[in-house]
Amino acid sequence: MENAGYIALSRQVTLRRELDIAANNIANADTAGFKVEQLLVQTEEGPKSRNEGIRGPGRFVLDNGVGRDFRAGTLGQTGRALDFAIEGDGFFQVGGENGERYTRDGRFTLDAQGRLVTAAGLPVLGEGGQEILLDPTKPEISVSADGIITQGGERVGKIGVVRFAALGVLSKDGDGLYVNPSNERPEAATDAKVRQGMVEESNVEPIVEITNLIEITRAYERMAKIVEQTNDLSRRSVERLGRVS
Amino acid sequence: MRALRIAATGMGAQQLNVEVISNNIANMNTVGFKRQRAEFQDLLYQSIERQGAQSSEAGTVVPTGVQLGSGVKAGSVYRVTTQGNLVQTGNRFDLAIDGRGFLQVTLPSGETAYTRAGNLAVNDQGQLVTDDGYLIEPQITIPSDAKDVIISRTGQVQVVTEGQTAPTTVGQLEIAIFFNEGGLEAIGDNLFKESAASGPASVGTPGDVGYGQLVQGYTEASNVDAVSEITALIVAQRAYEMNSKVVTAADEMLQATSQLKS
Repeated sequence: MENAGYIALSRQVTLRRELDIAANNIANADTAGFKVEQLLVQTEEGPKSRNEGIRGPGRFVLDNGVGRDFRAGTLGQTGRALDFAIEGDGFFQVGGENGERYTRDGRFTLDAQGRLVTAAGLPVLGEGGQEILLDPTKPEISVSADGIITQGGERVGKIGVVRFAALGVLSKDGDGLYVNPSNERPEAATDAKVRQGMVEESNVEPIVEITNLIEITRAYERMAKIVEQTNDLSRRSVERLGRVS
Repeated sequence: MRALRIAATGMGAQQLNVEVISNNIANMNTVGFKRQRAEFQDLLYQSIERQGAQSSEAGTVVPTGVQLGSGVKAGSVYRVTTQGNLVQTGNRFDLAIDGRGFLQVTLPSGETAYTRAGNLAVNDQGQLVTDDGYLIEPQITIPSDAKDVIISRTGQVQVVTEGQTAPTTVGQLEIAIFFNEGGLEAIGDNLFKESAASGPASVGTPGDVGYGQLVQGYTEASNVDAVSEITALIVAQRAYEMNSKVVTAADEMLQATSQLKS
């Protein structure tokens, strides 16, 4: 009897999470390298009803994961020598205090020691995991499509681009960084192209997100209605059945 | 409701974006101004549940789990140090730097500041100074009887005095470069100070490898591009609106809950 209310409630819980995720997508509509996220839901069968012949078990809604859409965002031209974008699958490798991180956000800069670092100051790792050192007294660097950095005609390093066979192993670490908690090792992405002077924009599509927002709100209201009607039903039955004629 | 707070971070970020853009537009005609760019990053993620949890007895695991983000933050406001256009002024004390480097300026406090605004002048003692009267380092004094001043691309300052034909050298200008120009601390009045992020200044002669050249009679215009700034302004405004839409949506959902009849 109470199932209808609980099923509606299970949907409302997931809808609230969907709203949180849509809000995060919209807030990051202008964050370079951001990948749009979506809540994955599945139906979960509830305990079987005693009189199964009449009706089947209730089916609840359960969120079982967040899916990330790793499709490329638009490459926007900035003309800055230290802005990079990856054309194709792959991530830049970044060294961190707690191990390697991966990012698609290529807005790099130099630190006081001349290392190529991210906006947060983490060193960008070249091929083989070494930090990339640039000499400011030499002319501006140029980077070829395969990531080789040359400065004044001399090769000074190579930007490492790696890829994962299963992107699902990555989890977010904030600051546009991904962490790989699994044992799976990334492999070098040889066919991915590094584009200098470009930045990969967020792949959030505002129209889709706003439409989602409307859908979420309306679905939530519908569920509230069901809760209300279920409540109404039991109230009325108590009133009617409890009446002493 | 987490969504309300997330939308608030989004609105805050876009507000900062508009502030940066408006400062760029306001300084469109400031000599030597370098436009700034707000860079955003996503905030921390919270693992709500079931990340890597077992989903069956066979040992299969949930691949992603539920990770909820908590919005956006301004990672940094970066200074884009691309070259501005060189504008001819004809003023003999106007210096533009073509390439990398900053002129060194002695502040009244004795500290050294750096600038790319080369609209210089001479003070009552004939010393080369900035707009605000701060001395250029190394100090150069132009004799009062100088008829003509020639500043070469490599920074050599020569004067031709009354009654002479051959120029005499009165000084050599130097410029400073940094590992990370974007890390310099702006102190207003087109001046910058060295910071831990910029690294130490390395002073050299204009025209050397890695150093820019001086161009006399020109100033460097700001590198603000009006069209791209206005476009960025429109994008920022719409993004702000979308975040406010999230606030409305979250509010409506809360309302649906609070209006349930018991």
